[in-house]
Amino acid sequence: MDDLLAARLSMGFSLGFHIIFAAIGMTMPFLMSVAHYKYLKTKDEAYLKLTKMWMKGVAILFAVGAVSGTVLSFELGLLWPEFMKWAGPIIGMPFSWEGTAFFIEAVALGLFLYGWNRMNPWIHWMTGLIVGISGFASGIFVVAANAWMNAPQGFKVEQGQVVGIEPLTAMFNPAWFHQSLHMQVAALQAVGLAVAGVHAYLLLKKRNKSIHQKAFLIAMTMAASCSLIQPLVGHFSAQRVAVLQPVKLAAMEGHFETSSQAPLYIGGFPDEEKGEMVGAIPIPGLLSFLAFNDFEAEVKGLNDFPKENWPPVMVVHISFQIMVAIGTLLSLWALIYFFLLIFRKKYPPWFLKITVIFSPLGFIAIESGWITTEVGRQPWIIYEWMKAEEALTSVPGMTYHFYIFLVLYLFLAFMTAWLLKRLVTYYG
Amino acid sequence: MVDLYVNILIFFISASAILYVALGGADFGAGILEWIVPKELKEAQQNVINKAMGPVWEANHMWLIILVVILFMGFPKAFHVIVVSLHFPLVALLVGIVLRGCAFTFRHYDAVKDETSQKAYSFFFSLSSVWSSIWLGVIAASLTRGLLHAKGQDPYEIYLEPWFGLFPFLMGLFTLTIFTFLACSYLIGETRDERLKSYYQKLVPILNIGVVLLGGLVFLSSYLEPTQFMNSFFTSPFSLACLFLASVLFYFIWFYFKYFSFWMVRVVAAAQVSLILMGWFFVHWPNLIETKEGGLSFYEAAAPEPTLKQLVLALVIGSFFIFPSLFYLLNIFKSKQA
Ligand code: HDD
Ligand code: HEM
Ligand code: HEM
Repeated sequence: MDDLLAARLSMGFSLGFHIIFAAIGMTMPFLMSVAHYKYLKTKDEAYLKLTKMWMKGVAILFAVGAVSGTVLSFELGLLWPEFMKWAGPIIGMPFSWEGTAFFIEAVALGLFLYGWNRMNPWIHWMTGLIVGISGFASGIFVVAANAWMNAPQGFKVEQGQVVGIEPLTAMFNPAWFHQSLHMQVAALQAVGLAVAGVHAYLLLKKRNKSIHQKAFLIAMTMAASCSLIQPLVGHFSAQRVAVLQPVKLAAMEGHFETSSQAPLYIGGFPDEEKGEMVGAIPIPGLLSFLAFNDFEAEVKGLNDFPKENWPPVMVVHISFQIMVAIGTLLSLWALIYFFLLIFRKKYPPWFLKITVIFSPLGFIAIESGWITTEVGRQPWIIYEWMKAEEALTSVPGMTYHFYIFLVLYLFLAFMTAWLLKRLVTYYG
Repeated sequence: MVDLYVNILIFFISASAILYVALGGADFGAGILEWIVPKELKEAQQNVINKAMGPVWEANHMWLIILVVILFMGFPKAFHVIVVSLHFPLVALLVGIVLRGCAFTFRHYDAVKDETSQKAYSFFFSLSSVWSSIWLGVIAASLTRGLLHAKGQDPYEIYLEPWFGLFPFLMGLFTLTIFTFLACSYLIGETRDERLKSYYQKLVPILNIGVVLLGGLVFLSSYLEPTQFMNSFFTSPFSLACLFLASVLFYFIWFYFKYFSFWMVRVVAAAQVSLILMGWFFVHWPNLIETKEGGLSFYEAAAPEPTLKQLVLALVIGSFFIFPSLFYLLNIFKSKQA
């Protein structure tokens, strides 16, 4: 493994690890707040038990999110020092706001976790909500920083020097809105689904029905509503990518030749050597329509770009297909849910079983979505400004860096799963 | 304006560093104490540590993140040199921080509290506390050695030389001792267990002697270093004043320990550690770091003005949220036991 590959894998692996806990940290507090609110209003002990059960899970997951986030804030510099030297002054701003938001989040979490019976119940409830709000805000800030790498602006370069920095323009770059929106909806969707899955499983086991019924309903409401809107939000993302990063779009779709009435390919594999899709079903004109709302619109193909600026087409295409497939599947699942809710008013065991099986899908979609975004930006670290290889640290031995964090995170992943299993068994 | 912004940022850097050491340092110290405490006091101590640290450790730890963000946004040139030449110790520190935070939280929130797993969490908590404290000291020392070097080719020169040596290692041990001392001074006011209290009362003078001895050794070993840290220290009036005041505070610490005035113990201990940190931090004023090519000052390393302005703005506005909420947190959890 060369240093560049090792550094990329380290970065991708750390982020892929962190995002799971970050998504949970941003959205679980809202679920918790709903349950807590219901308890305060109804004094129904089942809600209290639920709040506390969720709270214990959040405490564990939050800690892993916090420490892996700490690693990330150093790792950006440790792996890509040239990038940070160049970009730090430009996109530092969202990070500084993110820092503030985390601080408030960490304080509010301390108050929420340990504040039972020490504070006015409603103020205590507020602290839980603040954990969610500040976590959510910080998520938006980091994604805005990432969006800048896809659509850099707010600076000029004169004689190799960065000048004329405008941090606000950089933060509110053309990609920040669609990326943040899509990410935040994804977090709500994925976490809601996973939580619903756990409680569906416990409902099937017929344990503590009253608690799990309530939990299932709260989590499902969030997951199912987000699943309905996510394909639209994702479609909006794709339209922005078509404008901002045509190479990425072409790689996502396996679109090699520039054409009007460009077809959308379902399934299949891109063959980079021959420059064509193998074994895919083309639907004529649909890509043109999806990207530009016009069946005749011209969509740029990969062949229009120099080959050294292509991202790894196979990876981008497959991960994109996985995300879209999951998004489509989940929107159908959400339709069934709302149908059952409105017309049947109960959920048959087969629906609970499907939900259990689906529970990891949201997270798989988040991971594949990020792989699409990040690998699709390759070879650039800052789109059309700096290549990843120019940003790499001069320190040798990145392979070791990768293995150290690989082992550490695998160990932590195993531990967290084990702890959550113990928690669920204990409360189940 | 640039100078004003830089000065404000220097204030925030010092404040975050002090708060990280004074608050977060005690959390590291708690992990170390768990290792050295006699068996019969283990449980009492673990309870008080859980109670004292649980609500605050995540907030305490944020000062480090704030420091990093100020560095990479406001002083990118210095950040660049640090992350390249201190790659190894930083990774070591991060691994420690990850294990420590997780072990502490897992121990508290594991739904099943069986002996084997609790023992394992405690072991990792203590081990990683010791480990991280030492690396923190090593990193701090390396910033002042004059061996940071971001452009080398030779692996030894970039990987090892900047942080490898007696001076950084002793500084690591010094940090370890100081953190343990801080933890003792904070925990003594939290516990109701009389045996634990008197144990801390006995431990503190020993730790104080350790701090003084190790401090002396750190000074001596700095003669082996290119920047001759000790000479600069004794020619810097500000650092000398800090050292003097910190020494005077020993008297107060013993006094308040003797008379069980535990709030004052905390305040004085925190003040003492802050003074030591300040004395060290400003030895090479106005330099932020010492590299092989000479010192890099705050003013040289600073980012362009628009960036500094936004950073200052974020920090000032952020402070209006952070300090009151932090104060509220401490008030809720610390006032009830005092
Ligand atoms: C639960 C998760 C989830 C689901 C169901 C979907 N996505 Fe997604 N997608 C993400 C989670 C995600 C993500 C992880 O949040 C990404 C990565 C970067 C980003 O902004 O969002 C992403 C990125 C992303 C991008 C790239 C954005 C960019 O690079 O700027 C596009 C074009 C889409 N998505 C499109 C879709 C479409 C058409 C979907 C149809 C159903 C879809 N996504 C479902
Ligand atoms: C949490 C969700 C994210 C995931 C899962 C993710 C995933 C990845 C992956 C897989 C890579 C490797 C790409 C390759 O080299 O082929 C990567 C690279 C990178 N990402 Fe992300 N990313 C995420 C968010 C972010 C954010 C928010 C930022 C910064 C603000 C960021 C900054 C980077 C950088 C600097 C690189 C390395 C340079 C490069 O390879 O282009 N990422 N990420
Ligand atoms: C899309 C990508 C990301 C999202 C959505 C995200 C979001 C979050 C959230 C919500 C937390 C709170 C902790 C938790 O809930 O477990 C967190 C923790 C953290 N994240 Fe990320 N993050 C992302 C990527 C990054 C990156 C690239 C960095 C580094 C520059 C980073 C730095 C941090 C830090 C320092 C913490 C610790 C805060 C604490 O102690 O509470 N995150 N992240």
